Amino acid sequence: MANRKMICPKCGCEMNHHADKLTYSTEGVEGAKIDPSLGGLIEETHNCPGCGHIASRIAD
Amino acid sequence: MTPSPRPLSIPVILGTTRRGRMSAHAARFMVEQIEKRQGITTELLDITELPLPVNDAGDGIKDPASAEKMALADALVIVTPEYNHSFPGLLKHILDSCLKEYIHKAAGIVGVSAGPFGGVRAIQDFLPVIRELGLVNIFWDVNFGNVSSVFDDSGKLLDQAFGKRADKFINELVWMAKTLRHGRDNIALEN
Repeated sequence: MANRKMICPKCGCEMNHHADKLTYSTEGVEGAKIDPSLGGLIEETHNCPGCGHIASRIAD
Repeated sequence: MTPSPRPLSIPVILGTTRRGRMSAHAARFMVEQIEKRQGITTELLDITELPLPVNDAGDGIKDPASAEKMALADALVIVTPEYNHSFPGLLKHILDSCLKEYIHKAAGIVGVSAGPFGGVRAIQDFLPVIRELGLVNIFWDVNFGNVSSVFDDSGKLLDQAFGKRADKFINELVWMAKTLRHGRDNIALEN
């Protein structure tokens, strides 16, 4: 998951994946990828060093 | 560390909707103190001015404009009164509407109370929430106890000691905000 870099939709910079958040709710997540060892989904948080934009996605 | 060209953004959240709230004076005072600093932008985010639907929660009530402000913030100053030994439920309702916007950002809490303790019980109650939101709380607070003797009715500060207390609080908050921005921008999570 860390190898697939996100590109900032606002300024085009490569974003930095700096956090993983464990979430137990699968509401609204299509094809929810629950990690059985963690008991929930991992939501990655990415930050743009260029403009400060924040993005997140559910980890593969 | 290479200085970032973006100014730090440190909004001040006024966390109560109650009429006659003295916390408004404390929040405006904190905004004024932050505005004195170079390289920092701030503004007052009054939760009474945000949409506050109560027929849903979390992402379901997210306000795009205020979420964008949270996303661009490097740190938050949260001004909370103490109501029945805790912080206002509507403040939590608003904070719960975002998540990724907070992660690895600094937070400092300003407590306000009519009595002598300056919101310390509200702050203690707040800390586990701050942690779960992904915010990093600093170890300085500002405690406006006996708040009706700290500000007059117009909001004028009557106790000048709060200038120095706010300075120390902001110094620590700025350090944490800069450090965490460096981390968010440059340090990848180990995998």
